[in-house]
Amino acid sequence: MARWGMVIDLAKCTGCQACSTACQMENNRLPGENYQDVLYYTERAQPTPVLKWFPRPCMHCEEPSCMHVCPTKATFKTEDGVVLVDWNKCIGCKYCMIACPYGVRFYTDEKPTIEPNVKDVFPGTGDLSWNPPYKGPQQDNAHGVGIQPHGVVSKCTFCYHKISKAPKGTPDLSNDNPALREFVPACVRTCAPTARYFGDIDNPNSEVSRLISDRKGVRLLEHTGNKPQVYYLGESGAVPGFSRPDNKS
Amino acid sequence: MSIITHAPDQASISRISNLRLGVGIAGLIAGLAAGIGLLSGGHATFNTSSLLTWGLPVSTYVFFVLTSTGLTFVASLAMVFGMKDFYPIAKRCVWGAVVTLIIGFISLGLEIGNPLRMLWVIPTNMAVSSPMWWMGLFYLTYAILLVWKFHLINQGDWDSSQSRIIGIASFVAVIFAHATLGSVFGMMSMRPFWYGPMVPVYFLITAFLSGLAFIMLFINLDYGVNHANMSEGAARAMSRQLPAIFGVVLGLVIVFTLAKTMTGLWSNVPENKIVTQYIASSALFQFELWIGMVLPFIMMLSSKRHEATTQVVAGGLVIVALFIGRYEYVVGGQLIPMFKGAWADDLIAYAPSITEIGIIILAISVGILLYALGDKKLNLSDSPRK
Ligand code: SF4
Ligand code: SF4
Repeated sequence: MARWGMVIDLAKCTGCQACSTACQMENNRLPGENYQDVLYYTERAQPTPVLKWFPRPCMHCEEPSCMHVCPTKATFKTEDGVVLVDWNKCIGCKYCMIACPYGVRFYTDEKPTIEPNVKDVFPGTGDLSWNPPYKGPQQDNAHGVGIQPHGVVSKCTFCYHKISKAPKGTPDLSNDNPALREFVPACVRTCAPTARYFGDIDNPNSEVSRLISDRKGVRLLEHTGNKPQVYYLGESGAVPGFSRPDNKS
Repeated sequence: MSIITHAPDQASISRISNLRLGVGIAGLIAGLAAGIGLLSGGHATFNTSSLLTWGLPVSTYVFFVLTSTGLTFVASLAMVFGMKDFYPIAKRCVWGAVVTLIIGFISLGLEIGNPLRMLWVIPTNMAVSSPMWWMGLFYLTYAILLVWKFHLINQGDWDSSQSRIIGIASFVAVIFAHATLGSVFGMMSMRPFWYGPMVPVYFLITAFLSGLAFIMLFINLDYGVNHANMSEGAARAMSRQLPAIFGVVLGLVIVFTLAKTMTGLWSNVPENKIVTQYIASSALFQFELWIGMVLPFIMMLSSKRHEATTQVVAGGLVIVALFIGRYEYVVGGQLIPMFKGAWADDLIAYAPSITEIGIIILAISVGILLYALGDKKLNLSDSPRK
């Protein structure tokens, strides 16, 4: 069984947010519900400021604290290493959001981040919290794919509706092989400078495994012990600590 | 010190009881009005967000279930540890524990997304790695035992072996319940402001204080703020032992609060240092520390601690301080955004919305009315005949 993981090459990433946009389109995300986002950090002050950025999906941790704290086992890990939410079981206690060190989970019923509220423009019917005119993946509540019902938590699924259909034993899902393109996660598929790679990190011959070992891939916030399955390549793979703007500290 | 020197002053007792009913009904109406927001707009009417997930309703839940814990501790002084002086207030404490637990559960139930689903997914999935699962298990056990115990003493069965065992069992269950509630926060190593093995101990001691403060305030009010209106035993417990215990526990909580604040300010970890700086420099914290804790502590050191009026003031101030403390603790652990970079370059701004405030007014009013009902119908001043 594969263990899916992702590699993001920070030396290639331009911070263009095409991945975030593709994810929004693919998964019908609302503004603010960024399963995939690019985070910007500034480190040091004038005259030597450094701007950093990290494309940030869910890390699909090896030891997902979100899953360990979930009181209902709604958050679970599939055999192929993907962390998902079963919307039929989620009670909306939001403990997983508290416990995720990477801040990648979203509660359905929140104040809209922009007006007009898209949910009011396309009001939901039945169980669905809204009803967009275009729907991406097929609704699969048991794997947290599609439009959320009310009162649940959602997150990046590594495009589970795509990768779960890939032929078994595939070491890498990449655009290079036209036969596999349909199974490539939207963010990987759309990344113009090919900064993102997706494959089986348990398979020593996969491209992702080779990149991680040859270029010394790092995981973010290692001290949390969550052991992400998303690895970063490049010089700037460490997150600056939190600080308040100068006038407030 | 005067103990039962004249007949109870029924006029002032019933004045306070009517006032309580009035406050309860007014609160219920106000709470329902604000709660309509929840019906029409759902949880989108909350000011919580994916950045700051747990707000006022959760801290209110923590406050009230821990108060229930504390009230059970005080009732247990008589019913588990045989301190007979506490029998005259034991039944009130047990009823108070039931009521505060209900307030907590209402507040939480209106906060979570699918509360009814809880009833079947929690027992059928056995998520034993989750502190919250254990918290649910122990609070449920505690709730059942507590109601059972109240039922027994309400029938006059204070001391049969069954009644004693249920009393002991509910005392043990609530210790586990509050400890697992502490773990829900204390186990979160990704949130340094909460993290630590001492959190359950901190919850234990503040829970006890919370229970004591409720007794100081509400039992005195029940008797028209006059110990002379109480039975001799109740007056003795209220004027002698309780203020002493209250003073000691309050002193410990002050030490805990100062220790946590100093540790936070000294620490280099931003999640602890910056948040503690932010909280400690707020007017709310200064009020909590000086007016809500130090002042009542001084009152308990003075000879006036025996008097009902002093106790009502001290109890009320400590309740406010503890409520602020729970809020600061729950919200404080989330003020620094998790991994958001420049998207959130400062502490997260949060103030409860009208709906959130409405929910807690609703929950508290239901509690006040239930307590008033108990006071009228359940003979809460009862104690064993011997
Ligand atoms: S990044 Fe967060 S949500 Fe994703 S698996 Fe890890 S802990 Fe869970
Ligand atoms: S919000 Fe849902 S997925 Fe998250 S911990 Fe609660 S039940 Fe589990």
